[in-house]
Amino acid sequence: MDKISELENQSIYLIREANYHFRNLAMLWSIGKDSTTLLWLCRKAFFGKIPFPVLHIDTSYKFKEIYAFRDEYAAKWGLELLVARNEEALRAGMSHESKLECCNALKTNALKQAIAKYGFDGLLLGIRRDEHGVRAKERYFSPRDEQFKWNYEDQPPELWDQYKSRADEDTHIRIHPLLHWTEKDIWQYVKRENMPFVDLYRAQDGKRYRSIGCECCCAPIDSTAWTVDEIIEELEMTSAGEREGRAQDKEDANTMQKLRALGYM
Amino acid sequence: MQNPPKLVVLSIDGVPHGLLMDLMEAGQMPAMAGLCERHGQPRMMRSVLPTISNVAWTCYATGRNPGKHGIYGFIDRRPGTYEMTFPNATNLRGENIWQVLSENGKKVFGMNVPGTYPPRVVNGILIGGFLSPSVAKAAYPSQVSAYLAGIDYHIDSDAQLARRSKQEMLGNLDITLAKRTEAMFHFIQAESWDFFHVHIMGTDRINHFLLGKYLDGDRQFAPAFVDYYRKIDAAVARLLDRIGPETPLIILSDHGFCPINYEVQLSKYLADTGWTKPLDDAGGPLSFDPAGTKAYTLIPGRIYVNLKGREAAGCVQQQEYESVRKQVSEDLRKLRDPEGREVVKAVVKREDLYWPKGAYGPSDEPGPAGKLPPYTLGPDLVAVPHDGYDLKLGLTATQLFVNTQLEGMHTYHDALLLARNVPLDESYLEIRQLAGPMLDCLGVSRPEEMDLANTPAPDGVLPAQTESC
Repeated sequence: MDKISELENQSIYLIREANYHFRNLAMLWSIGKDSTTLLWLCRKAFFGKIPFPVLHIDTSYKFKEIYAFRDEYAAKWGLELLVARNEEALRAGMSHESKLECCNALKTNALKQAIAKYGFDGLLLGIRRDEHGVRAKERYFSPRDEQFKWNYEDQPPELWDQYKSRADEDTHIRIHPLLHWTEKDIWQYVKRENMPFVDLYRAQDGKRYRSIGCECCCAPIDSTAWTVDEIIEELEMTSAGEREGRAQDKEDANTMQKLRALGYM
Repeated sequence: MQNPPKLVVLSIDGVPHGLLMDLMEAGQMPAMAGLCERHGQPRMMRSVLPTISNVAWTCYATGRNPGKHGIYGFIDRRPGTYEMTFPNATNLRGENIWQVLSENGKKVFGMNVPGTYPPRVVNGILIGGFLSPSVAKAAYPSQVSAYLAGIDYHIDSDAQLARRSKQEMLGNLDITLAKRTEAMFHFIQAESWDFFHVHIMGTDRINHFLLGKYLDGDRQFAPAFVDYYRKIDAAVARLLDRIGPETPLIILSDHGFCPINYEVQLSKYLADTGWTKPLDDAGGPLSFDPAGTKAYTLIPGRIYVNLKGREAAGCVQQQEYESVRKQVSEDLRKLRDPEGREVVKAVVKREDLYWPKGAYGPSDEPGPAGKLPPYTLGPDLVAVPHDGYDLKLGLTATQLFVNTQLEGMHTYHDALLLARNVPLDESYLEIRQLAGPMLDCLGVSRPEEMDLANTPAPDGVLPAQTESC
């Protein structure tokens, strides 16, 4: 079996396990390439009909292309689409001027509200280990408490594909079926499956997005890649980080750590 | 073998003039002493205000006043916000000396000089220093990174290690220095360089963490401190051997050092005196309520008036500006340590630091808040402390005066300067002026935008004994 098929098998196994274990499961869909791949895999796992809702955390600041894609495919694929928005914060005028506060209100708190409203005990997410340093420490089944605190030093071991899928009351478990995929794997899979994706990933006027989210906090990279093949080729050439165009970047954190040690913070 | 460079600069960060004199006198730095014997005693040189490495080296590299190059410290606020940002060479206005020389057809090399990351495109090699995120990203051209990675080059010693264990820090400093010198001797013979500048950061680090122990004659750490300087001297000896007796050479530091009595939580002081209103869950120096904050500080001793129209949510009216500055200055001058000693010896206005006369044309006046960036991004006041009072932030600190693992702090008046076959003016030079004689030495005319004239130090900044020299 080739590598992509193995990745797919493992992910479908995790999705089915999750569906068996949780009473009230949902999948988070940001409409980006990773969670759309996860959605594709969920459809495959259940032969086209996903037996749980698909949740979109809507900050209202997403690209218009994202909303169009969401509505088109939610209808086409017969999804049970739930949209969660922190209406209160939006009414209060929350915007990206203060990035951390804004992310916290419109993403984290919107998700908390949705979990409280629908009582989800398990959430499928499309994160990957190679995205960001701290994600390398993630597990496939990752417990969070009521406050969403994740204690990465106290996680259940996952050996020989034995997953701990039970958790205490008041916690929900995040399931990461794509954890072992890389950015390039995703694009190779997109190509093999001829999967649809948001056009923002394609180069326009010499720029394209490698990672999409809120319009105000994403920056495109220099690129001429239009086809999936060109995107894959570009990934083979580059050493820059995928989320480099995103605000709140790692370099600042690293700088801060160094300055703190020298007493400059 | 290639010809030696036409001009060599070796910079040793934060080595005070007096410390070098003491170590030479004690016979601990024979190579440096030999050099001084033939080419004259090292001189004292002035740094920059506020006295901090990336500002000092940016002034050195551009020959410009911070009011023109736009780098005022390691931390700044993102223009138009109260978010923290970390300025680097991307934010630097103007060209550095490597670029100026490149445009004049000179072959240039620079390694580890603070403030040069991300490296600009030059005719040669430029390798970033402190705060370069990784070896892979530090160098122009990027192929150089492969060599550096291959020898396990260290951009900087690990200061977090120093916080944990001074013993471990020493080992880490040694490795960093060994890799630096290895790279230096690799590159110096790779090309016939016109300009070759290598920077050593470890001296600043060891002074920060061990200067007190050295001065106290600590049984374990004072000899280790001296050992490190002996290793620096050994590197100088090898370099002198490599470049021969006549190659123009400058050895310099960017500021001096003195032992710390107290670290001063200046943000807390401004909060205590009612100028800054911290948020309940304040996380950093900028976590204040802009509506209740008339002035705030960024390290070290930079004071910003929360001026309406300039700051993101300014609450101080233009007509209030001068009176706010006056009152804040008075409050700063009133600050006393737990033993009742004065902490701040001078408070300097921005226009006396960042507005070199004539630099913006004869009719240009700075006005209350200034008009042009990057001048407008600079602090409105700079508090200059007495030796021993290291001005920090600490908006939510519980105590105003603290002591940590840090033992040394920067000083303005006693940077080190030693030159061989590079004619220098006799005056009490500022580090910003060196670009002039360096360009002269290589036969390149001085760009007009450089601020190379000597400006007197603001009143009350220099210690009494140096006022006359």
